[in-house]
Amino acid sequence: MADPASTPLGKMLLEEITPVVMVLCTPYVEESCLKNGLSLIQLLSPFCDFTNIDVPVRTASDQPYRLRKFKLRLFYSSDIRQPNLEVAKERLKKVITHVGEKNFLESSDPSQVNNLLSRPESEMLPSWFQFFNKELVRTLSFSDHEAFDHPVACLLVVSSKDDEPVNRFVDLFNTNKLPSLLNDGAMDPKIMKHYLLLHDNQDGPFNKATKLLADMRNAFGQNDCQIICFNSSQDGKIHHQDNPWAPFKSDALPTENLGGFLNLDDLNEIKDFMQELSSKHIIPYMEQKIRVLNQQVSATRKGFRNQIKNLWWRKGKEDTIDTPNGPVYTFNSIESQIRILGDYAFMLGDYELALSNYRLISTDYKLDKAWKRYAGVQEMMGLTYFLLDQSRKDAEYCMENAFNTYLKLGSAGRRNTTRCGLWWAEMLKTRDQLKEAATVYFRICGEDTLHSAVMLEQASFCYLLSKPPMLHKYGFHLVLSGDHYKKCDQIKHAIRTYRSAIPVYKGTTWSLIKDHVHFHIGQWYALLGMYDVAVTHMLEVLASTHQSKTTQELFLRDFLQIVQKTGKTFEVLKLQLPVINISSLKVIFEDQRTNASAAAARVKESLWRSLEEDIIPSSTARSNWLELQSKIMPRKYKESNICVAGEALKVDIEFKNPLQIPISVSSVSLMCELCANPEEDANSSNNEVQNNEDRTSTSSGDINSCLILSEVDFSLEGGETTVVQLTVTPRIEGILKIVGVKWKLSSAVVGLCNFEFNPVNRVVRGRRKQHSPSSDLKFLVIKSLPRLQGFIHSLPEKTYAGDLWPLVLELSNQSKSPVKNLKMKISNPRFLYAGNQKELNADFPACLKKKMNVEKSGRHANVNKTLQNLYHFPEDISVQEETSLSWPLWFHAAVPGNIPLYITIYYEMEGVSSIMKYRTLRMHYNLQVLPSLDVSFQLSTRPSRSQEFLLRMDVVNKTSSECFQVHQLSSVGQQWEISLLQPVDSILPSQSLFAGQSLSCFFMLKDRRRSSTSEDSIPSLSHIQSDVRLGPQDNSEAFFDVSSSPLADFHDCERSSRGMSSQGCEYKVDFVFITQLLKGNSDSSSNTPLVFSHHACDCSPSSMSPISWLVDGPRTIQHNFSAPPCEVNLKMTITNSSDAIASVHINTFDSPSSNNQLINDATTSQPPEHQSGWSEIPIVNDTKIITTEALTTRVPKSLSLESVPQFIWSGTSSTKLVLQPRSTAEIPLQICVFTPGIYDLSNYILNWNLTPVNDGENQGEANKSSGVCQGYPYYLSVLESNFKD
Amino acid sequence: MIVCVAVVGHQNNPLYIQSFTDADDALKLHHIVHCSLDVVDERVNNPKKSGPTLNETFLGLLYPTENYKVYGYLTNTKVKFILVTTDLDVRDADVRNFFRRFHAAYVDAVSNPFHVPGKKITSRTFADRVSTIVQSFGLSSSV
Repeated sequence: MADPASTPLGKMLLEEITPVVMVLCTPYVEESCLKNGLSLIQLLSPFCDFTNIDVPVRTASDQPYRLRKFKLRLFYSSDIRQPNLEVAKERLKKVITHVGEKNFLESSDPSQVNNLLSRPESEMLPSWFQFFNKELVRTLSFSDHEAFDHPVACLLVVSSKDDEPVNRFVDLFNTNKLPSLLNDGAMDPKIMKHYLLLHDNQDGPFNKATKLLADMRNAFGQNDCQIICFNSSQDGKIHHQDNPWAPFKSDALPTENLGGFLNLDDLNEIKDFMQELSSKHIIPYMEQKIRVLNQQVSATRKGFRNQIKNLWWRKGKEDTIDTPNGPVYTFNSIESQIRILGDYAFMLGDYELALSNYRLISTDYKLDKAWKRYAGVQEMMGLTYFLLDQSRKDAEYCMENAFNTYLKLGSAGRRNTTRCGLWWAEMLKTRDQLKEAATVYFRICGEDTLHSAVMLEQASFCYLLSKPPMLHKYGFHLVLSGDHYKKCDQIKHAIRTYRSAIPVYKGTTWSLIKDHVHFHIGQWYALLGMYDVAVTHMLEVLASTHQSKTTQELFLRDFLQIVQKTGKTFEVLKLQLPVINISSLKVIFEDQRTNASAAAARVKESLWRSLEEDIIPSSTARSNWLELQSKIMPRKYKESNICVAGEALKVDIEFKNPLQIPISVSSVSLMCELCANPEEDANSSNNEVQNNEDRTSTSSGDINSCLILSEVDFSLEGGETTVVQLTVTPRIEGILKIVGVKWKLSSAVVGLCNFEFNPVNRVVRGRRKQHSPSSDLKFLVIKSLPRLQGFIHSLPEKTYAGDLWPLVLELSNQSKSPVKNLKMKISNPRFLYAGNQKELNADFPACLKKKMNVEKSGRHANVNKTLQNLYHFPEDISVQEETSLSWPLWFHAAVPGNIPLYITIYYEMEGVSSIMKYRTLRMHYNLQVLPSLDVSFQLSTRPSRSQEFLLRMDVVNKTSSECFQVHQLSSVGQQWEISLLQPVDSILPSQSLFAGQSLSCFFMLKDRRRSSTSEDSIPSLSHIQSDVRLGPQDNSEAFFDVSSSPLADFHDCERSSRGMSSQGCEYKVDFVFITQLLKGNSDSSSNTPLVFSHHACDCSPSSMSPISWLVDGPRTIQHNFSAPPCEVNLKMTITNSSDAIASVHINTFDSPSSNNQLINDATTSQPPEHQSGWSEIPIVNDTKIITTEALTTRVPKSLSLESVPQFIWSGTSSTKLVLQPRSTAEIPLQICVFTPGIYDLSNYILNWNLTPVNDGENQGEANKSSGVCQGYPYYLSVLESNFKD
Repeated sequence: MIVCVAVVGHQNNPLYIQSFTDADDALKLHHIVHCSLDVVDERVNNPKKSGPTLNETFLGLLYPTENYKVYGYLTNTKVKFILVTTDLDVRDADVRNFFRRFHAAYVDAVSNPFHVPGKKITSRTFADRVSTIVQSFGLSSSV
């Protein structure tokens, strides 16, 4: 370790524990001194510090040593007393306040902990601590239990102006005027005196003074009198380069010229005087005193005998005196003498001697229970140990002992505790025990909050400087210190300490502490009126989500109050309230593509693109490389997006309230830049824009009026998130850039948020561009263009499946120029179909009915409709300026479910813009279609007649409340004739299907085409019964016409949507089932019934083979069985209805067993009791009609009775033939019957095999390329005819 | 009585801090816990050289403040557990036992697949378990 004397504590001790010289002077002396702006002591002080005095000193030991450093402390006699506590406190407070002001202005925040530590130590530690500590120690001067403040000498100063200076000297040292401490015995009044005559050269010649000096010398002795002449300079203009008085006159004004009348000779004279005073008078005096005292002490206390005596004496004394402060010692008591000896030795640097005396006295005081004195001595012992640099442990032990002893004294020793602690801490700091020092500082903290604050701050610095730094504690102690400062109204200090603590907590997640620090800094700045800074700190705590609700309220309220006090609206770039979800940013703009509604804008771009694929002219959409792009527009604008002047750009942003309390946000708007002249900022080589001149003419000054920004107000509940749509409408051409968004929080603070540096997730028509975000928010604004607005009237949001309804599409053109070449494409033609213009005002539903008198104009009313859902409006249709166009649409709710409808309308503008020639209007609707009727058809062939079918229709009302009135069932096309098997009245008397009710109906269906071949007569079209009325039969109401628009169109769509070709093949029937809903549940048409149509396509018999046959022959034969067996001739007609060549193999067999086997193999459709080929004729002969019931109940006992069948197939048992597609062939069959009875001639099978003509047509049921058919029953009654004969 | 327990991550970030007092002294306890991290660091960086403390997780009394005693515990993953108590005479064994149980609870809490390491522990089960442990600590020390 370095020399203890050169450490901060050592220096401090050498400065503070030095001999005191009491100064007594006359008013004239002061007067002369004040000419220089200084008091006498101030004048002399700079010359009392001798850094290299080099005086030989000999104290108790015989060996002299040389004293290098020496200092005298000068005090007026009036100051030699214990300082007034209140005054001292006040003074300290002033010191702190002063420092606070000074540091507050200079303070700069270290933002990072690393920066904090990288600075040199001296810079880190505020210098004012030293100063403050010194002041604090000085408040304890002239305490009664210590001797180093006892005046060693007395300097009497008289001016040469005084009358009778010699008498004045005597008067000065009048005991009455001396300090009380000297009089009451605490200090020794018999001290060395030195007489000084001060001569002011301005007052007169020097010779008068010399005469006075001679008088003095006569009176007070040769050596003790001296004279100083000063104020030699006449004009007082002398300027001292490095003013020696500056440190001693702290309150000096900078303009004051201190020592103006003192020239160099004067200064030297004063300096010589002081040196002489020290070296020739004071030091020898002290030496002598030490020797005397030492002798005295040795005589009374040293040695074994003395110690015993002392001990015994003190023991006896113990009982008698017991005051709280211990016994009172006067200066001439032996204890005080020892103490004085020790202090003198200490002051002269003879620490060994001092220590031995301190030790000696320490035990005495302890025995006497003079705790304060004991502590004082312990303290000095500690310091002596320190300066001796001998035993650290001893030094620390002594200091701790002293500290604790002082502490025990309570309030009486409070200030001593502080001083002792300071010295102790300094001592520890010198030895790099910074943590311990910090603890000591912490322990110093007492009831005086202000002092505690300073101590805590010093402690915090100890933690900071310790190795490794203890930053957590540093922060904590700073915060504690700040709190203490705040309690003493030292706000600036409080702010300073809190701000120093910020780097500790910055970047950590200790948010509770962080919020506390920032909030209080903000509050305190507000108290100081520095609202701007206050706001910045308050902003830090605004979005503190983890705080309780009340705290959040408090934060917000205080913040708003502070903002209010600033008296201006703050613009805060990163306001955390509310939180903006940048990734949610969505820009919706319209270039060629316009949206009819917001819903349309949300639809994926890819969907629209696929829809618009074939209506957008490809040349404009994707120009080839040969075409000059610059013709259309400069290339750089290709990159930026295009929008049209006068049309709004929409931006969706999500705001979130992170707090639990509601906040109100107002005036939310976009921040945009509109550059009227795109060339100005672009300044690229692309200058081939033709209308350059036009654009430059528009000045950029009136930009604000060129933009219309929407403002949105909303309030957010705690934790709420809301999406806000903001719009900006440019009104002139140019480059528009969306910069950011701004809003007002609680109508006090303006928050700004720039989009630029954030990744923008921009969904523009679903296409994500890969440019930089800034160019994504850049738009080229072009001249205003016509923009169609579209709306579909009375489109229901919710309906039942099957609903058929006319709609009106209204397109309006608000602009000044017409649009033409309209095309429309609908995503789902099953639901929506463009009608004919003349249908616009048609009466619904009458227009759907068959008009008997009107000649049918073919199957499709509007042949100009092409496929692919695309509808071209007639050439001559255009939407003129400021008009609107209405166009009929047919709506049909085809299937239940949530159905999105996308409609895009293409139109062209004439010569308005070179960049944009066409636009599209996109409309999007969502439908909710509820299930209504569940209609299913089942078609089965009549076995006997190949051209007739039995149709079963099952209808279930699936609604919960609606009641449908059945109206008609129609088959589509002209080849089918439909008729009811039984009147509807018998099945459904009310003709209404109530909720949940089901209905089954049977119809006969006849293939007219087929029958025509057999009947050889072509029925006229008017008689075609392709519709059947299910409603009241007497109703003369016309049928709905399923063969004309729109029913036929919807039916086609229905077919194509189910993947069927429009032409049906035979045996496949399409049905349209029409019902009406009388009770209009939709608000509009309460009187007119709603029409519901249900379409079923491609109904065909459930299991139908392409081969059908009919066995024909006699049903009843009378035969005389006495004659040879009866032969019956039959005819089988086989029809191949497929498109392939069929080879048919007919096998007849007689054995029922083989038949049985075959049946099991081939088909199970026939019940097993049908197997037997023969049954006895019932007894009742006259009943010749045998019902199927009778047959089925028949017991197959005949099988067991006889194994030989009662008839055999005669002729070939196996016939094979080839049938051409769609052809018929006849095969003769013959059986031989042996007994009368009823015969079931079903024991044959048909094996058929298809050889397809080509593979493509192998569809439907015809894809069954081969099969086996069991013969169906053909009953032949053979009767005995002999009784007839 | 235990007034506060805390879990502090290896980057000295608070993972869980719960006070068991009625008074509104969360801030104070936060400060105390935050401060004690310095002592933890100190203990960790200057371990006592003696053998049995080589793998010791229990850090012992970190520092006595005016009214509190702060104990520390360091897991292998450098997660610190801090215990602040107002009891003036606490047996070391009690504290060790407390920390052992607390550690078990913590391990269970962070073993939850939905727990994100380094984020605050929000599990209610953990909170319940901790409060049970804290209560039982008071009981055992009073007996």
